[in-house]
Amino acid sequence: MTVTPQTAAVGDVLPVITFGPISRTTLALYAGASGDHNPIHIDLDFAKQAGLSDVFAHGMLSMAQLGRVATDWSGIDRLRGLSGRFTAITPVGATVTCQGRIAERFDQDGTPILRVALTATIDDGTQTLRGEALISAD
Amino acid sequence: MGLFDRSRAGYESKPIEITAERGAIAFFSETIGETNPIHFDVDEARKAGHPDVIAPATYPVVLEMAAAKEGQRKGQTPMIEVIGADMRYLLHGTEAYDYHGAIFAGDVLQVVGRVTGFSDAKGGQLEIAHLEMEVRHAKRGTLAVARRDLIHRLPAAGAQS
Repeated sequence: MTVTPQTAAVGDVLPVITFGPISRTTLALYAGASGDHNPIHIDLDFAKQAGLSDVFAHGMLSMAQLGRVATDWSGIDRLRGLSGRFTAITPVGATVTCQGRIAERFDQDGTPILRVALTATIDDGTQTLRGEALISAD
Repeated sequence: MGLFDRSRAGYESKPIEITAERGAIAFFSETIGETNPIHFDVDEARKAGHPDVIAPATYPVVLEMAAAKEGQRKGQTPMIEVIGADMRYLLHGTEAYDYHGAIFAGDVLQVVGRVTGFSDAKGGQLEIAHLEMEVRHAKRGTLAVARRDLIHRLPAAGAQS
């Protein structure tokens, strides 16, 4: 039985989304699609000049996956908020695993809202992003 | 003291007009691995009752990038320069969206950026710029508000990541 926003209880988990492995092509496409042309994500020469060994993925690419965890489950029309805190960089080649768990059900101006705790984790277990979604459970 | 230009607290950009484009929304949606066709297939979006493809959750950041570029064409200083960001030490700390209404392809939008303020953390090792961006539609009002913390990890705190 699939949990819906109306029936979800604290502790319920949402379907996991995995994204990757994130290739250089993915980063080039994300730079173009998002308009974020920061060379640190797409230009190896620039990254090396900045003292890094390689380019790394846009944080917002992982944030987009947290958004998918929420909206694949609830539908985007129920999404009231999405937030994230970046805690580590995501290297090229990583696969990002994104999870959501119902953390709270509360009332906001008469509307039931679910607070969903979200995390993005890469292959070696490093958490790269944690955040939350607010979903209308009306 | 920090590197950000703290005199810019309270700055608000002039509204920049951006049209949400169907192809751009579809390209972004496919790039992030979106599987729900309402984000990239206009027929499926219409079947679901929407006027056109609907922007995915993090799309406000794309509108903001587009507005920054359009603003530059019109001589407006990019936010990153307004706050005096030093790219060598700059990190993206947080990103948050409040949603008030859907954004569809074809929507003509106004994008406004603001510098909410500045703060310090970790005993001055980190300085934080608090930014806000609002996406408005002439008839449907505010559709999304994005908040972002950009962080300088100051040189005294050690090398950049």
